[in-house]
Amino acid sequence: MSGPTAVAEIDGLTVEVGGRRIVDGVSLRVLPGRVTALVGTSGSGKTTTGRALLGEFPAGARVGGSVRVAEARVGYVPQHPAEVLNPARRVGALLHDIAREQVRGLPRPRRRGAARERVLHALASAQLPEGEALLRRFPHQLSGGQQQRVVLAQALLLGARVVVADEPTTGQDALTRRRVVGELAAVAARGIGVVLLSHDLATVRALADEVLVMRDGRVVESGPAERVWSAPSHAWTRRLLSGTPAPVRRAPEGPRPDAVLQVRGLRARHRPGTEVLRVPDLTVHPGECLAVLGRSGSGKTTLARCLAGLHRTYGGEVLLDGAVLPRSLRDRDRGLLAAVQYVFQDARASFDEHRPVLDQVARTAVRLRGLPAARARAEAADVLGSLGLAAGSTARAPALLSGGELQRAALARALLARPRVLVCDEITSGLDTVTRRDLLDLLAGLLRDRGDLSLVLVTHDLDTARLADRIAVLDAGEVVEQGPARDVLTAPAHPFTSELVLPAVDVQVGAEDEAAAVGGEERHRLGDLLGAPDPAERDTGGEL
Amino acid sequence: MSGLGSWAARRLLLGGAQTAAVVLLVFALTEALPGDAAVALAGDQPDPARIAAVREAMELDRPAHERLADWAGGLLHADFGTSLVSGRPVGAYLSDAFGPTLLLASLTVVLLVPAGVGLGVLAARFEGRPVDRLVSAVTLGVYAVPEFALGVLLVTVFALRLGWLPPTAVGYGTDLLGHPAALVLPVLVLLSRPVCSLCRLVRASMIDALASPYVAQARRYGVAGARVRYAHALPNAVAPAAQQLARTVDWLLCGVIVVEALFVIPGLGTVLMNAVAERDVPVVQGLAVVFGVVTVVLNLGADLVAHRFAPRAEVAA
Repeated sequence: MSGPTAVAEIDGLTVEVGGRRIVDGVSLRVLPGRVTALVGTSGSGKTTTGRALLGEFPAGARVGGSVRVAEARVGYVPQHPAEVLNPARRVGALLHDIAREQVRGLPRPRRRGAARERVLHALASAQLPEGEALLRRFPHQLSGGQQQRVVLAQALLLGARVVVADEPTTGQDALTRRRVVGELAAVAARGIGVVLLSHDLATVRALADEVLVMRDGRVVESGPAERVWSAPSHAWTRRLLSGTPAPVRRAPEGPRPDAVLQVRGLRARHRPGTEVLRVPDLTVHPGECLAVLGRSGSGKTTLARCLAGLHRTYGGEVLLDGAVLPRSLRDRDRGLLAAVQYVFQDARASFDEHRPVLDQVARTAVRLRGLPAARARAEAADVLGSLGLAAGSTARAPALLSGGELQRAALARALLARPRVLVCDEITSGLDTVTRRDLLDLLAGLLRDRGDLSLVLVTHDLDTARLADRIAVLDAGEVVEQGPARDVLTAPAHPFTSELVLPAVDVQVGAEDEAAAVGGEERHRLGDLLGAPDPAERDTGGEL
Repeated sequence: MSGLGSWAARRLLLGGAQTAAVVLLVFALTEALPGDAAVALAGDQPDPARIAAVREAMELDRPAHERLADWAGGLLHADFGTSLVSGRPVGAYLSDAFGPTLLLASLTVVLLVPAGVGLGVLAARFEGRPVDRLVSAVTLGVYAVPEFALGVLLVTVFALRLGWLPPTAVGYGTDLLGHPAALVLPVLVLLSRPVCSLCRLVRASMIDALASPYVAQARRYGVAGARVRYAHALPNAVAPAAQQLARTVDWLLCGVIVVEALFVIPGLGTVLMNAVAERDVPVVQGLAVVFGVVTVVLNLGADLVAHRFAPRAEVAA
């Protein structure tokens, strides 16, 4: 190849862990001042490849091929910058240690001042002008944005010629994403080669010069970003880039069977006196999918928790087949527990990390349906198989499964109770686009195949809500609109709903332009729709 | 930073309340003695004349709240009352005995911290390797031996068989510093178990810290190994270790009865033993107040340290 010399080069890298190739023959060149993006779903091997540039490999890995990096060390910006900031030390601790190494050559009395000078300069270069005061703070006293810039400052201070950024925008709101994109662009502008590992396509599109699309440890397509975007040559790339939402389901015609789940006059409180949710009337029919759509903090998770018996302090009643459900899980008998099952947003946290997934899934059938262990395991293997999880992977500990796989296992675990109603709380957020779409297809399949299973989908994501027959829109604890999905999505009656429905589609493709075009108030709203904690919650340092 | 200030103020207030509660509790417990303190003092051969004399000395005929007010008022200017047995002020007992106990405790702590932390860091550094196995096995083994058994064993070997060290501090009075040889065995016995518990605690926290992403980041950016261990990983092990250390120092300062009795050291533990044997209620009360206050103060200190090194944790206040 011609052009400028690469600051880092990977040639034919293979990484094998336990006989499984997680990276298979990957080659890439990182050029100074350019952004090279590795794109792929989780588990595609992009993080392992990025880590290889840092000289780090999974424990017990067999490594082949070569990794060459220019003289200086490689900088690293992780998905959660707080992870690499020591909670027990002030922010300046690591920065001072890095700088101290660099001033070894100076006479002793001048070292201190010179090191300090370097640290402050690095902070200023990372857009942290108030460096002095910042150095004396603890990481938890910084906002998320400041934490990220401190981590960038570490890399700049190091004099890194290459910076690896691992999912820097995933799970962030639109405003934060825009800021991170700006910061990484500024890093590249200093002549540093940036390696971006991401499944956030909007960010990749805004930043990347070169794109490598990865799948199952291999690079399936690579080239200049514009070319890959406009004319993807590989089928997998096309699938990754396509955003076809699931079709809107049509509500069944004719007279409805009796409701399976009914909410009447529900008013939920958190602490005495603070009412967070008012739902006068909500009905779920057998075989129906109801989406509860709203921004974070709208009370939608509280509603789901009331249905499942996880939130006890409410007035009014929740009825299953016309009979009042006890408020607390503890007062529900096996049959009632099995009838209403819950799938949590964070699938990983909902599994015991020390026991094989299959055993944990099978346990539901033992506990709630009284099956003998062997039959429960057989049935669990069946259900897991039908959700596309092979016996080989489910016999392992949860840590060895990807986020998408675990979410499917969590679904299987709930299904094994043979529930009448399945409550899914934001189960698609935090997943990459392809995995999310697969999971939505799976849910659609469940609705089709398991005749009278009803779904309650709690979500902020319109793509997910499209799966539903009916949608209830929540805002600030009130149901502002409910009706057939088609009507709510295409002809919203309430102003809040129309606001919710209109911009989101564009934001999915070009978050940057969109966020720039709207006012501050609007941005927060868009941020929520994009699946992020409220920016006001994250940026406690009051930097904006 | 005002957060830390108000937190410390609240914690101090709570410490004051705890001290007051200790004083009240000690008084209430004495009041709760069957009959009254005079009957309890008179012992197995109750002599009506002696009971009457004690009643008068302790002014037991006055209402309880007046006596509490008097006693608590005295405590405020370090007047602990008078011993029933010798007639000496209780304060004198305490100040005489405090010296030897403080000496033992401070010597032990000075050796305990580097030994416990050093062993813990060493074991964590070589986690799962022979060094770690050895340290872990020895600390667990020593921890299982009670002080009196270890004390007797050490005295038998080093004092009686080998004759290297004096078996007890008999005859040295409170001037133990003048006879350092007499301190070796007691300090060894005092060290044995705290070193083990501190080492195990530091090891566990260090293993977590060394596996953390922030330590990986420090290594990645070229910080030297020892500096990573002591300056970046160890601070995360300090918070739990400080709490453990406070409990240990508390235990040391409150007169380690077994060790002081074994080596005949005239410390607070010995005073407590004698006072209980002689049913000298004012001395026991005085000791109880001192022990209570020491506990409150040490835990206050440990909470402040923990708050500094685990700034995110909501330390109960």
